[in-house]
Amino acid sequence: MTSATQPVVKLTLRLLSGPAGAVLVMTAIFVVATLAFFAINGREAVSLFQEMVMGAFGDSYSFSETLVKTAPILLTALAVALPARLGLISVGGEGQLYLGALFGTGAVLAAVDQPGWILMPLMLTGAMAGGALWGVIPGLLKTRLGVNETISTLLLNYVGILLVSFVVHGPWKNPNSLGWPATIEFPAGAILPQFFDTRVHMGLVFGIVAAVILHILVTRSRWGLGLQVSRSNPRVGATAGISYERNVLIVMAVGGLLAGLAGIAEASVIQNRLQDGLASGYGMTGFLVAWLAGQHFLRIIPLSVLMGGLLASADSLQLYAQLPKASADILQALLFIIVLAVASLWGRRRTT
Amino acid sequence: MNIQLYNITKRFGDVTANDGISLDICTGEVVALLGENGAGKSTLMKMLFGLYPPDDGAILIDDKETTIESPQKAMSLGIGMVFQQFNLVPALSVLDNLLLAYPKPPFWTFRRLFRKSPRKAVLTYLEELAPGLAPDTLVRDLSVGQRQLLELVKVLNLDAKVLILDEPTSVLPPQEAERLWALIRKLAEAGRSVVLITHKMQDVMACAHRVVVMRAGRMVQTLDRKQCTESSLVSLMMGDSNQRSAIEVTPREAFANRPPRISIRDLDARHGAQSVENIRLDIAPGEILGVAGVSGNGQHLLADALVGLTPLARGEVIIDGHLLQSAGRPPSTSDRVSYIPEQPAVNAVAADLSLTTNVALSHFRHLSFFPTWAPEEQLTRKIIQRYQVRPDNPALAAGQLSGGNLQKLVVGRELEGDKDLIVAAYPTMGLDAGAAHDIYQALFAKANEGAAVLWISEDLDDLMSYAHRIAVLQGGRISGIFDPRECDKLDIGRAMTGEHQPARTQLPPEQKPADPQVRAAS
Repeated sequence: MTSATQPVVKLTLRLLSGPAGAVLVMTAIFVVATLAFFAINGREAVSLFQEMVMGAFGDSYSFSETLVKTAPILLTALAVALPARLGLISVGGEGQLYLGALFGTGAVLAAVDQPGWILMPLMLTGAMAGGALWGVIPGLLKTRLGVNETISTLLLNYVGILLVSFVVHGPWKNPNSLGWPATIEFPAGAILPQFFDTRVHMGLVFGIVAAVILHILVTRSRWGLGLQVSRSNPRVGATAGISYERNVLIVMAVGGLLAGLAGIAEASVIQNRLQDGLASGYGMTGFLVAWLAGQHFLRIIPLSVLMGGLLASADSLQLYAQLPKASADILQALLFIIVLAVASLWGRRRTT
Repeated sequence: MNIQLYNITKRFGDVTANDGISLDICTGEVVALLGENGAGKSTLMKMLFGLYPPDDGAILIDDKETTIESPQKAMSLGIGMVFQQFNLVPALSVLDNLLLAYPKPPFWTFRRLFRKSPRKAVLTYLEELAPGLAPDTLVRDLSVGQRQLLELVKVLNLDAKVLILDEPTSVLPPQEAERLWALIRKLAEAGRSVVLITHKMQDVMACAHRVVVMRAGRMVQTLDRKQCTESSLVSLMMGDSNQRSAIEVTPREAFANRPPRISIRDLDARHGAQSVENIRLDIAPGEILGVAGVSGNGQHLLADALVGLTPLARGEVIIDGHLLQSAGRPPSTSDRVSYIPEQPAVNAVAADLSLTTNVALSHFRHLSFFPTWAPEEQLTRKIIQRYQVRPDNPALAAGQLSGGNLQKLVVGRELEGDKDLIVAAYPTMGLDAGAAHDIYQALFAKANEGAAVLWISEDLDDLMSYAHRIAVLQGGRISGIFDPRECDKLDIGRAMTGEHQPARTQLPPEQKPADPQVRAAS
């Protein structure tokens, strides 16, 4: 090696040992793993992989479908990341999403004859209230009774999902639906605005705006500082006059509110009604995205798009390549394991 | 076993913690490593114990160069270390703790099956050093001194020929320190070497053969104990910064006729197994009220209740006629009440946040919604400079500083601004004489400006020199209030252990709490 090339090599090595190198390695391993997965299924791996990428980002239609899936992932990821900034591990995104849909739909059904400018705010408020409620309940259980928030949010997910199931099979079932368990179709005034003739809706805007605002609040404001202090040492926070209990309730409520918005957006734009199987696991995907992003609000945005792309392309693979539906979950799981393993390997290397 | 450290150098980032240090440790010798906080004493010994590798230099054991890459290696060589923070399991018994630390033969030798329980072996040293201590006592019921003995026994059980003790007397009451000195001398006579890391002159004078003085990472001088005097050591240890002004406390006349600034009335509080009961105290503006007592007698709870971290079960706390805390109300903290808790490194800083942030916490309520950090950083620099916090970078995470430096930072933070009440628990514990001096000076200056000071300490000498009155806590109650001009240490010692008061104090202890009100008012 000549002395001239040495600094270049050194610089490259330095870059590779940083986050950029980690991302490169993650991508490489993920591509290889996906190819292997397709090959095991007896498919033409490379062409199917191309298909998959095209199915997510190939043309404007597939990209719009990616963004449609991005919105709920983004919002539920925020619902996890905010409590995590206080050291809480909430897995309640799914339940909060269902409760948002439930309360939002309740508002729509109650005011179904009203014009859009009344109906829309009512619906959104209802959704936010529902989601927030499903965040505040575990928050109160935590602050008053010391119940572990991870367990309570996990269990409340089932309650939320089944509550929706109950109303669509029972009191809110559309009598004219020939036994199909769903509410009536939402009136036009209760359909969230969409963009450019696609299904991409306001929910995405809510998510991005919320991510940016939360980022600024948590990293720059006194309130955010309070969260950091309470997370690091609650006793010191208490001495400084920062109420851990109040902050628990705030982050759980705000997180729930965002997930609730995701829920009503799904019901209003995607399904046009409230019905079973509303979210297809967005809450869990959001949880994983939040942890992949290290609870960093701005990093959550691109990761949500990526994950939305994976889900959207899995849909198209299912349609065109006849892969089973579970393959989306398998690819998702591969991605998470690879990212987490590589990230921790890189982190360990840097500390030693 | 002879150990030679040759030209050892260790750097942490830009800081040189040890700069070319050479040191011999001979068999049967007690070497005192003397120096202020941050002089590099512990760093040097941690390298000998295998916790960090030296950047330069060599360690020779019996004239053979040896790399000590881990504490396990150090122990197998016969080097043992007792740290300032004990490494014991409080919920287990003395015997279990000793067994935990005792090496077991590896399972594949099957020797465990045939050998008798090592119970007798692990207890030999315990019986020798602490004959009265029952092996089935739980560690959480032991006093600090007993815990330290237990740590020492653990190290001896590993057949250590060289014992390194890191600031062993900083946690001990005076009687126990004396016992430890005797023990160290005995160990040396038995042919072991002892390295005593300390900043206390008494330790050096009581048991060292040789004194190695360190300052700012360098070895200043090695002296035979017989050659040196306390004052010569102090000046060696501190260098030129030895010129310190006297500590001034508020003259009694200044507050003799003033109404109390703080009134604690019939205060009860409970937390877990701890409780304080029936605390009645008044503190005048400018007055320094010392609180003495064996640690664990309710000091912590009393302090927490005053500053608003624990709700009161009964009674109230009044500041200048305003209710600060009262039973049945949620406790509240205030910017005008300062709190220096014990172990500030654990209880008073957010370890992963910067020094600037940690300083800003003292006036968190007054930060604007989007805080501007320039003035906070300036304030932090001021505190860092005034109390000589090292390293002096306000952007460092607090966890990167040593306990002593964090303590100085916390004290500086809490003494900043106007204060009505300052609750200081062991504010100088573990600090060297110079830093302690600065802290006392700053704390008592704050009293002179009109703050009431409640000063919790175990150091009776300091309490007797500076406090205006000394209240003794025993079993969660005040067992006596003394005027240091009219009592001696033994009186206070008796109140601390709960022995009955001799006739010399005019009032029986039950009525004592009422006394300060009379005194403050008259």
